[in-house]
Amino acid sequence: MGTASVQLFPEFLTETFGLPGVLGEIVAALVAAAIVGNIVLAFTGVAGPWAKRKITAAFTDRIAVDRVGPFGLLIIPASAVQLLAKELIVPEGVDRPTWDLAPTVLPASALLGFAVIPMGRLGPVNFQLADPEVGLALVFAFASIASVSLVMAGYASNNKYSMLGGLRAVAQNLAYEIPLIVTAMSVVIFAGTLQMSEIVAAQSAVLFSVGGVEVPSWFAFVNPFAFVLFLTANMAEIGRNPFDIPEAPTEIVAGYQTEYSSAYFVLFYLGEFVHIFLGGAILAVTFLGGASGPGPESIGFLWFVAKIWGFFLFTQWARSALPRVRIDQLIEIGWKGMLVLSFANLVLTAVIVGVIA
Amino acid sequence: MSLEAPDTPETDAAVEPTPDELAALLGDLVVDRDDHLNAPGFVIRPDAVQETLSTLKTEAGYDHLSLVTAQEYENRYESIYHLKKFDDPTQEVSVVVPADKDDPVSESADAVFRTADWHEREAYDLIGIEYDDHPDLRRILLPETWQGHPLSMSYDQERPQIATLPEHANPLQDHHRDAESDTMFLNIGPHHPATHGVLHLKTVLDGEQVVDVEPDIGYLHRCEEQMAQSGTYRHQIMPYPDRWDYISAGLLNEWAYARAAEDLADIEVPEYAQVIRTMGAEMCRIAAHMLALATFALDVNGDFTATFMYAINDRERVQDLLEDLTGQRLMFNYFRLGGVVWDLPEPREEFFSKTRDFLDQLPGSVEEYHNLVTSNEIFQMRTVDTGILPPEVAKNYGATGPVARGSGVDYDLRRDDPYGYYDELDWDVVTEDGCDNYSRLLVRMQEVEESAKIIGQCVDLLEDWPEDERTIQANVPRTLRPDDDAEIYRAVEAAKGELGIYMRSDGTDKPARFKIRSPCFSNLQTLPEMANGEYIPDVIAALGSLDIVLGEVDR
Repeated sequence: MGTASVQLFPEFLTETFGLPGVLGEIVAALVAAAIVGNIVLAFTGVAGPWAKRKITAAFTDRIAVDRVGPFGLLIIPASAVQLLAKELIVPEGVDRPTWDLAPTVLPASALLGFAVIPMGRLGPVNFQLADPEVGLALVFAFASIASVSLVMAGYASNNKYSMLGGLRAVAQNLAYEIPLIVTAMSVVIFAGTLQMSEIVAAQSAVLFSVGGVEVPSWFAFVNPFAFVLFLTANMAEIGRNPFDIPEAPTEIVAGYQTEYSSAYFVLFYLGEFVHIFLGGAILAVTFLGGASGPGPESIGFLWFVAKIWGFFLFTQWARSALPRVRIDQLIEIGWKGMLVLSFANLVLTAVIVGVIA
Repeated sequence: MSLEAPDTPETDAAVEPTPDELAALLGDLVVDRDDHLNAPGFVIRPDAVQETLSTLKTEAGYDHLSLVTAQEYENRYESIYHLKKFDDPTQEVSVVVPADKDDPVSESADAVFRTADWHEREAYDLIGIEYDDHPDLRRILLPETWQGHPLSMSYDQERPQIATLPEHANPLQDHHRDAESDTMFLNIGPHHPATHGVLHLKTVLDGEQVVDVEPDIGYLHRCEEQMAQSGTYRHQIMPYPDRWDYISAGLLNEWAYARAAEDLADIEVPEYAQVIRTMGAEMCRIAAHMLALATFALDVNGDFTATFMYAINDRERVQDLLEDLTGQRLMFNYFRLGGVVWDLPEPREEFFSKTRDFLDQLPGSVEEYHNLVTSNEIFQMRTVDTGILPPEVAKNYGATGPVARGSGVDYDLRRDDPYGYYDELDWDVVTEDGCDNYSRLLVRMQEVEESAKIIGQCVDLLEDWPEDERTIQANVPRTLRPDDDAEIYRAVEAAKGELGIYMRSDGTDKPARFKIRSPCFSNLQTLPEMANGEYIPDVIAALGSLDIVLGEVDR
């Protein structure tokens, strides 16, 4: 699949283990998907119960979990057991099965996005499941399904706070997805392709070198303005401060997830974190050179992980420091500000690229 | 903005009218005199309340209805309207309205002072007086199904309060749905992250915009007045005030009772004790304002904000000082009638240096809050010009404290009706003219700095105080029995505003009537004025900027 010279993860499996025919390809694809999915879920497992607490605590002069295990790490299984052991309360009048489906749609959509993300190499393995020519469009399409899940949850919960949260989620995603994608289009103009691996490859050239240090032509360096736009829209897309208004705990309790408990709550929580990591992954691929970094190509995966965790850290920082904007202000920023800026960026990029190239 | 009397050219406030002049002004509205220890009192007919109050408001300048007290006597009911002037709260007058024992009805003052709305509802709820012409005379603290009026003489405490399920009005069940309207009814609270306790806001929304909001209070009503009425002046009442505004403002509350009781029993407090009181009270104010800042950041920033923990950390330092001083962290019980319970902790030098350390680091902290919170563009976007409370509306609702001062009402009892050691010290009253959520926060943050100034001066004074003149308590009789039928209303500037106590003595060692004027109660009444037409997040911010404590609202 694709024209990229690198070998994709499923192909690596079929070759290494000699799996023959169509059946072998299916098995390899499933195994590869399971491995990548579990890697992402492992990030989430570390992030949700432990890293998030530790990071927030560091920002707010606290210590956070440190009683269970080294650095409190055993809080991860402890929290998992605690959350899953809680009673799943199904409120009266919820609209089933919509209410039951919503918590699975959110993590599923975010996980699907990882199918086309080139996460780089670790040794001989290249962590990319598929590399279709429309990769970037596909990943945005997957990520957008998340808002469907929020609306489902908000509508089906039979709760006014959930309803408000669901409506806010739609309004917010509409207002930010367009600038997000239009800004991403400027990257496509640079790279000349929607294929994820090609976008990464297009950033591998040296932009300039200062005293022997070579600065790669990551699009974040080539077009910092687009990077800031994209970063902002991405924060809104994943619903983190200053754009956490679909949940807005002090205003509408917990928004669309007000009525969810136990395993369903865990699924939402999980979905949100996977979504943050997907946001980081898209950012890394489109603007931060994907898996590139100092050292041999075979440790690229580690750089990629560092980049998405860096983005996670950034979201937590924003969460600790920034106030939340109001819903009408958010819409205004999205439609009147970001949209105009992102189109200006797109047109300018197109003109400049057209003149130079 | 200094210690001098306000220099606004208010002709009415400049000269205090003598009681006789007032009597002449009111003419035949007055049927009798019933002077209180703090103010002249005029007895009027129950159907002349509005006329009397509006005459006093417009022609004599008594523009602040501080409190409405209701009580029952052997032969009559009585409502007392305690009036003051915002320009000079030492000018007071009481309007006493007797009502018939069998059919207690008197005219409502709501048309003249909007604040009378809730005060009269409370009087109706607890005492049983009915107010004619009241826009919405319902119970306010107790449930609708409550039988009898608990502070009336005929109330049967033994009677079980059983409401059957069908007649039990569930305040949460009403959906207010009809075919025509496209509004949505939303219960915010009683359990909600932003209600700062158990407060229920009945909210009508049009999309995200608030059409109407009605606070429903009483969830934390603990019969504080009744409990105080069954305690002795000398010892048993003092622990209760700590439990009104329990956000570490305990000493400020205790001072409200101490001031009223000391004036009632004519007790002189030694100067040394006054300085300690002043210092302790300002520490409490810093602690209370720090928490106000912290929770306001929670409301506006979200639940993972760093500001919350930073402010709590600073509050913790004051809390440590208060713990050293009083031996308690929350329920101080440190004041006594005639002074304080014990002297500063030994070794004194250590306490002084600890206090000075705190005062030295405080400006840095405040600076950090300004960097982190008030100068943040998003924060300003959220709070500037939202939750508008015009000064005239604030006065009409009897709003006081940082809420009134954030609307430019230059009113602070520490300066305007001096008590303690305040008039000997150098500090300023802070006001802001923005009338919005932002101004109210700014006022609190600046007041923290003013409080620090006061504490610094008190520490200097206490350090140099000669050892043989450190009298911490006046000589007060073991049992206090103020004169029969002596009545007094006294207020102090608590963290949230004017905290007043009305007491009537019947010659025994316990008050016959003990009435608390809670600043939060009056301040909360302004919420609908601020909220209507705004978005939900603004209502939450406005509520946060009011800085209410439900323990004090409900008492």
